[in-house]
Amino acid sequence: MNVLILGGTGNLGPFVVKALEPYHTLRVTDVNPSEDTAHEFRCVDMASMTQVVEAAEGMDAIVNCSVLREHRKIAFDVNTLGSYHMMSAAVAHGIKRVINTGPHAILTGPTYDNIDFMLTEDIPPHSGADLVGGDNPYSISKSLGQEICKVFTENHDVHVMCLLFCGLKNPEHPRFFPGRDVTPFVVSVRDAAEACRLGLEVDLKDLPSKNEVFYISTDIPHGKFSNAKAKRILGFAPNDKFEVVWHKVEDN
Amino acid sequence: MNILITGAASNLARALASHLGDNHQIRLTDIVHVDTDFEFVRSDLGHDESTNELVRGMDSIIHLAELPSDYTDDSLDSDNLTIDFLTRCTYNLLWAAVEENVKKAIYASTLKLFEKYDDDLTVNENWRPLPSTDPYVLGKHLGEFTCKEFARTAQIQITCLRYGQIVKVDDVRDKPYDPTWIEIRDLVHAFECALGEKTPGLNRDWSVFHIEADAPDADYPPARRARGTIGFDPQYRFRE
Repeated sequence: MNVLILGGTGNLGPFVVKALEPYHTLRVTDVNPSEDTAHEFRCVDMASMTQVVEAAEGMDAIVNCSVLREHRKIAFDVNTLGSYHMMSAAVAHGIKRVINTGPHAILTGPTYDNIDFMLTEDIPPHSGADLVGGDNPYSISKSLGQEICKVFTENHDVHVMCLLFCGLKNPEHPRFFPGRDVTPFVVSVRDAAEACRLGLEVDLKDLPSKNEVFYISTDIPHGKFSNAKAKRILGFAPNDKFEVVWHKVEDN
Repeated sequence: MNILITGAASNLARALASHLGDNHQIRLTDIVHVDTDFEFVRSDLGHDESTNELVRGMDSIIHLAELPSDYTDDSLDSDNLTIDFLTRCTYNLLWAAVEENVKKAIYASTLKLFEKYDDDLTVNENWRPLPSTDPYVLGKHLGEFTCKEFARTAQIQITCLRYGQIVKVDDVRDKPYDPTWIEIRDLVHAFECALGEKTPGLNRDWSVFHIEADAPDADYPPARRARGTIGFDPQYRFRE
């Protein structure tokens, strides 16, 4: 399969490239140049409709790893307009499969996250207007992007799988400590990238609808979010575990 | 009351200012310069202090969420401009409004969100919007989405008015009837009703009303929620 990766040199992108390269022909793009010559690479600004549409030509699927968090103008350019451009490109080229990614807060913002447990993916999005700390349009601009994806699936022959992450960890450089607990939603970048690969493999006929959202978390006992849907539909099976974090450390 | 009205270049903004100006202090704004007798501040609704200054001292904001029809920008094509304006600029406006303690905003949306339903259905505010990917319709939907996220976290009370094609009754007298018509004076009246919306005892930070022309003999009365909740009383009908 010819796969376009948007945001290919960011935090997640290189892990997705590594997970997909044995199986697919990749066109890697990012707004920043790349030294990696193992795959076709193009500089693509998500804010440019022309660049995104041109990059999608000849592709069978799109994986969107692009994200910009803090800067208000660029966050909307990348996270909101970028999704509009990506979906317009998919429709223009007849691409049927799109994998979008984002933080869990684009669905479960503070009005869920601060209050509820046993949260599933099939609920109305409540990103809230700000992320913790204020004046940060990360979650709402990504949530608007996912809403754009959903509207396109309701109007065109295209499927979107939105993979939601939180607390992405690089197991080789962990920034957490035994016995200190973590956010109740955590996954390694390797497992997150593997979920992207699974999204490219799943038969589109097996998806309940043309727009499906998945929590991509390792197995975690907190009872706030569940990865059951990702396991059931995508076959997600996280390899990197973090049990040491939520078990108390015995005094020696 | 101090009221900020965006989209000052539009006929609706002019009509609103003219009517509301009798009893309120009006400040108009748009992305382009507009000649007017009312106070006018040109604004990009950008991410900077100027948007805070724009909304400072206001009690309410009427966000018409409309770009001037002939507006262009070298950096974005018209589709992008629409999406960007209705999402990012709405976010910037509301963010500044919350920071400056503005209590209420009215967001102007469209009944085009329901065009995909069959005409014989009793579509009202309880029906799910079905936006198309037309940039204007999608953008209006995303603007509502943005407003709801502000209202949801109880930072500002937001009323959304959805309406169809704005006309003057004399201008369409000889034209084929269009059920989406709304007389501009009835629409101005609807905004005035929404400004005075009070829901004592209810935590109603988001409310939405469909604003439709009078149709006294209709099986299903139009604008029923607006009539019952905010006192909307349309005076103009296009079919006897």
